[in-house]
Amino acid sequence: MLRRSFTAVLEKGSTFRGDFETEPYEAGWAREARWFVRVLDSRGRGALRVTPEISPDGLHWCEEGTAAVEAEGGEMVSLALGNFGSWLRLRCAMGGSLREVRVLIYLALKE
Amino acid sequence: MGSADGAAVPAAAADTRLSKYNPLSRILFFDDFDAGMNGWCELVGNHTGDLRQIREIARDFRPPQLSSCTFFDIGTHGSLSGTYSLKLATRAEPNSLAVAIKRLTSAGLGLVQFETYFSIKAEQVFRSRPRGVSPERGWDGNLAPSELQFGEITFSNDICSSDPRSRCHGVVRYRNTDPAGNLVQQWMHPTSAEPTTKMERQGLVDLADPRIDFFSARPEDWRTLPDGGQTLCFNETATKVNWHYARWLFDTRTSRNVEFQCNDRVMDLRGVPVPVYDEEYRGLANLLNFYVAVRTHSGVRNFLHLDSVVVSVDW
Repeated sequence: MLRRSFTAVLEKGSTFRGDFETEPYEAGWAREARWFVRVLDSRGRGALRVTPEISPDGLHWCEEGTAAVEAEGGEMVSLALGNFGSWLRLRCAMGGSLREVRVLIYLALKE
Repeated sequence: MGSADGAAVPAAAADTRLSKYNPLSRILFFDDFDAGMNGWCELVGNHTGDLRQIREIARDFRPPQLSSCTFFDIGTHGSLSGTYSLKLATRAEPNSLAVAIKRLTSAGLGLVQFETYFSIKAEQVFRSRPRGVSPERGWDGNLAPSELQFGEITFSNDICSSDPRSRCHGVVRYRNTDPAGNLVQQWMHPTSAEPTTKMERQGLVDLADPRIDFFSARPEDWRTLPDGGQTLCFNETATKVNWHYARWLFDTRTSRNVEFQCNDRVMDLRGVPVPVYDEEYRGLANLLNFYVAVRTHSGVRNFLHLDSVVVSVDW
């Protein structure tokens, strides 16, 4: 069988007015994962700082260790992960005077 | 293959992956989620490319997941067969709804049967008295406080023939609790048609009610199915997964419900009407869609797991 893959859209143009985490997502079946983040609109000046986190149970979280990236101005940014636990999420923090973002967040998974 | 006395064994009975099901003569699909998503994907409201066009209630139905049912206390629970199940997860917000859909068209009309093994769970929360549990009730070591944090699941189809005035949704819901957190534990059906994007753009949908229901025009438009009262096996703890059998028979030739079964309870739905639309719906010829959904009332994440799904037909 071909290697399976699945792309989940964790945020589909959602608006956030403060720091947030994406919903817990189970990815135990996948060998590799790549996050894609786009800030579609924003209020205030600054970047969205995006840090990947992992969890064994979907309840308790730690940083995955990959360096955080900053998203702003409609540009797509990306983070690749491997050798993670079964659960993934992003911690997203407003930088500078940023006070509102509308975001697209994808998680692409492959066996 | 034959049985010990030489009699023929139906093909489904001879396959241990299918022997737990009761399919009609033709299996249209058998989705084992150990093999992937099998075409179950997030439902999304209609738009023309601008996501801001999507009506609010249909904007965030959450991506389905392949779950190993892994918990903080025991690790991996697994599914009924194999490791993975299809998981729908709400947000941790009251009235959050997760919906997955599988889309087909039909090559015939007649009986269509949806079968699955499912489990319902509320996310473990680390509070001694979760929202919805009164101090008087407490925890007696048996009844799971988290059972009171589980809202409801809904099974639905979306049917249309070549006649643009024939569209309908058959819908069956298990309401575990009401929005106030009281146990209801009944299978129910809607008495009004599921509002559509077209209806909303025509101003025909009341958007003011915060308990707005995706599957009915008004939150109160639900009635209990005949013999619909049933207690499911939540099993005392948020991390114990017990699989339940469900079978729903629908007639696409007449757009009528026929029968619904959950475990040993069989409900005759022949007298249960299916709401019809007043509007025309074009571009939906031979539509045959299946939805599964879970909604939280409590604001605790609610999960619906499907081990596998079999849809079979008599045509």
